[in-house]
Order: sequence, then C-alpha cells, then structure tokens
Amino acid sequence: MEVLMPNTLDEALRALVKNQDAVIVAGGTDLWPRIRDLEVRPERLLDISGLSGELSYIRKEGGKVRIGSMTTIAEIYESRELDGPLEVFKDVAAKFGSPQIRNAATIGGNICASLSSEDYITLLLALDASVVLKSVYGERTLRLEDFIVDKRTVNRKPYEIVTEVQFNDMTDGWRAGFEKIGRRNTLIINLVNVAVALRYNGRVEEARVALNRVNRKVPGRARAAEKALLGKEIRGDSDLEEAVEALRGELSLTSDFRASGEYRVALAEVYFKRIVKRLVGVA
Amino acid sequence: MDRIRISFRLNGVEREAFVSPEERLLDMLRDDMGMKSVKEGCGTGDCGTCTVLVNGKPVLSCIMPAFQARGKEITTLEGLNEDSAMKVIQDKFREYHAAQCGFCTPAMEIVGYKLIKESDGVPSKEEVKEGISGVLCRCTGYYDIVDALRSAAEVIKK
Ligand SMILES: Cc1cc2nc3c(=O)[nH]c(=O)nc-3n(C[C@H](O)[C@H](O)[C@H](O)COP(=O)(O)OP(=O)(O)OC[C@H]3O[C@@H](n4cnc5c(N)ncnc54)[C@H](O)[C@@H]3O)c2cc1C
Ligand code: FES
Ligand code: FES
Repeated sequence: MEVLMPNTLDEALRALVKNQDAVIVAGGTDLWPRIRDLEVRPERLLDISGLSGELSYIRKEGGKVRIGSMTTIAEIYESRELDGPLEVFKDVAAKFGSPQIRNAATIGGNICASLSSEDYITLLLALDASVVLKSVYGERTLRLEDFIVDKRTVNRKPYEIVTEVQFNDMTDGWRAGFEKIGRRNTLIINLVNVAVALRYNGRVEEARVALNRVNRKVPGRARAAEKALLGKEIRGDSDLEEAVEALRGELSLTSDFRASGEYRVALAEVYFKRIVKRLVGVA
Repeated sequence: MDRIRISFRLNGVEREAFVSPEERLLDMLRDDMGMKSVKEGCGTGDCGTCTVLVNGKPVLSCIMPAFQARGKEITTLEGLNEDSAMKVIQDKFREYHAAQCGFCTPAMEIVGYKLIKESDGVPSKEEVKEGISGVLCRCTGYYDIVDALRSAAEVIKK
C-alpha cells in the first residue's frame, strides 16, 4: 500500500487525477477500522489531513452557510458562527460519538461514508444542502440528495474531492431540529435519527423531513410527511396525525439484531412529533 | 513493504519513525516508541483507553493512521509525569481509589488533565462526566474518578 500525503488542495487534486484508485482518508474514524478489518484493501491512500488548514472553515456569506469538508465535529460543536437556528448543528455534535471521536471525525467524511448511521447526512438533507466537489478540471455543485446514491455509494468521480457542504441560512421563520436514539459510543448505533426543518409563521409554509432510512438503506426525505404538514397550524398531537400516518407509510426501518422494525418505526414517530412540537413551541 | 518516514514531536522531543502504511498510531507509540501507558482496549474506537493528545486534543490512537502523526505534537502520559498539575491528579486518584485495575487510568488522567487545564474554575460534576465520557472504566463505577478529578481541580485552580 502506498500513501500519498499532499499538503495543499492543488497538490491533492493533481495526485488524485494520476492515481484514481486512491482511497481518500480524512479523519479516518470510519475508514481506518475497515482497513484494519481488511474490509477495504486499497492499493493506494490519499491522506487529506494535511489540507485541514485549507478546508476547515464555517462561513456565512450571501445568505449561504458554507462548511469546509475537513471541519471536525468538535469545531462545529465549538463554532460561534453556528448560532440561532443553526445551533441544531451543535445538537447533532453533542450526541456524536465521544469527545475523542469528535476531535478527529470530519463532516466531509460523514457524508462520504454514506450510511444510515451518519447523523449529518440526515440533518443536511432536511436543510436541502449541496455538496461541492473539486477536481483538476474544475468544480461542480450537487444536491446532497443526488450525491447520496446508496449505502457506501456516492456520486463522486474518482478524481474528485469533496471540499464543502453549503445550504441557505435559516432566516424568515426557518427552524430545524434533530433527534436520535442513543449515542454511538454507548454502543447504540443510531437506530433512528430524524431531522425536521420548518418555515413556520403561524402555519407550516414549508417543511422538510429527513430520516436515516426512507425507502433505501441510506438517509432520505420523507416527502409524504412533508406534504401532510403543509398549511397546518400546530397546536398539539391531533394536528400531526395525518403527517405521522404518512411518515409510517414511507419508512423502511427494518429489523436487525439491534432492534425490530416495529420499534424503530414507533421511535421515529415519537421523535418526529417531539421535534415538530418543539420547533413551533407547543409542549 | 514500503515504509514511510515521518517526523513529529513526542512529549516535547523531536522524533522520527519509519511506519508501515497500515500501522496505527497506537502501535507506533507502544511498539516503536515504548510508550506503554497507551493501552489497547477495544481497537475499534469505543473504549477510549488508547487516548493520547495530538496537537493538544484528545484523540484515539487505535483508529488513527500512524502516518497522520507527521508534523504533529503528540503527548502521552509519559510526557506529563513531571507536570505539576498531573502530579496532583495522580495523588488524588490514589487518595480517592479512582484506579482499580488501572487499565483505563492513563486515559482518564489525560482527559481529566485536559479538562482541568481548559476550564475556568473547578469543573462541575456534569462537565467532568462529559469530559471523561469517551473513556470506559469497567471497575470503579466512575464516581471516584469524578470526585478525584474535581478535588484535583480545586488544588490546581487555587
Ligand atoms: C466509536 C465511533 C463512534 C461514532 N459515532 C458516530 C456518531 O455518533 N454519528 C455519526 O454520524 N458517525 C459516527 N461515527 C462514524 C464516523 O466517525 C463518522 O462517519 C465521521 O464523520 C467520518 O469522518 P472521517 O473524517 O473520520 O472520515 P474517514 O474515515 O476519513 O472517511 C470516511 C469515508 O469518506 C471518504 N472521504 C472522507 N473525506 C472525503 C472527502 N473530502 N472527499 C471525498 N471522500 C472523502 C473516505 O474515502 C471514506 O470512504 C462513529 C465512529 C466511531 C469509530
Ligand atoms: S482501544 Fe482505542 S478506543 Fe478502545
Ligand atoms: S480501573 Fe479498571 S477499567 Fe478503570
């Protein structure tokens, strides 16, 4: 195995276009255990940890929030930029692995791992985020929903590096919430995670709902539930019945050795209701 | 096998190592550098006994590639033995019986040290619990560790 260790993004992109079989390693918290288990046996690695100066940032400009792919979960947790409704990023970080994991794990690695257990995918889907990919040929921006193809499969060309995630800043009544059961380091690999973003001004004007398993084995949007929320004034559980019904129909929370499908669906419903009520200020 | 030459600072001293691509920081520290305070509990990122400081931040050496140590400052418990704050912490661990089998102790002391250094006053129980939440202890039940660290903080922060 050969390791390429560039110090700048330019160097990294040039090395990658010449070595398109190279597997990218960022924080390594997802990849390294798999290499040790011989689940992945790369000929070549491209270590991008040397790019953390260039690619770790959180910026708000022109109504957009941009987060560099090498930003660690700890940096998100401590960030001052992520205030107001953007605090939801810290709610995710607070429940993410352990302090040690948060110091190494990056947000770019989280989305590129493309699994139902990656918490930021669910949140970023609810924010309708986009992914910026760079290569020696230029740059393209892709909606996260189109980037996440399937379990462990993303829409990335072998010579591209994910450099940023971006989404519209939450203004004019937008708010978002996130819940999951358990923390990864207590060995409860999220059975269920749910993120909801609403634009609410007395009524639901826009809604986005994402869960870790909708239709596929990766996080996705629950569009029927979103539709059922539209126009609703929310005063209590009864105003959410229709949306919960819709949600139940579109989940693909299956049973495995960790939990039954029934249990997961029940959790998803409870969390969904809890988040929506919290977001609109109903107990 | 292709070895990679890297240089870094270990406990304040410039060092160089020839690591293999799949080598973990844990292996390099224990086997090549003789830092036996770094323990392998699970090897999968779950128990925290392999915690070391990289550029001052606690990370897990069992899931960090050794080659990522290049250019970094690495601190293990061996490097803090002469540190006055660490001495207080270790005394308090003794006083409070915060170590039983001792396997988690180096990691507990490192994350505790970091927490105390970075907090303004004496950290609350909740803050200590959060600070040590990434290290598993199978013996003590944690209460003695939390008390030892808070008591150490009272001395250090005076
Ligand atoms: C003990 C433990 C607890 C965890 N807890 C949580 C948790 O609570 N929530 C959660 O969501 N996850 C959790 N994880 C999973 C993991 O920490 C996250 O997926 C993390 O965000 C991965 O980031 P990384 O930088 O370590 O990625 P890496 O392991 O370096 O990479 C992950 C994948 O993404 C690719 N990649 C990385 N960066 C890029 C890039 N810039 N461009 C293109 N491809 C890239 C890599 O090739 C690899 O396939 C946990 C892991 C462990 C070991
Ligand atoms: S040995 Fe590293 S976390 Fe358990
Ligand atoms: S003292 Fe035995 S694991 Fe903590």
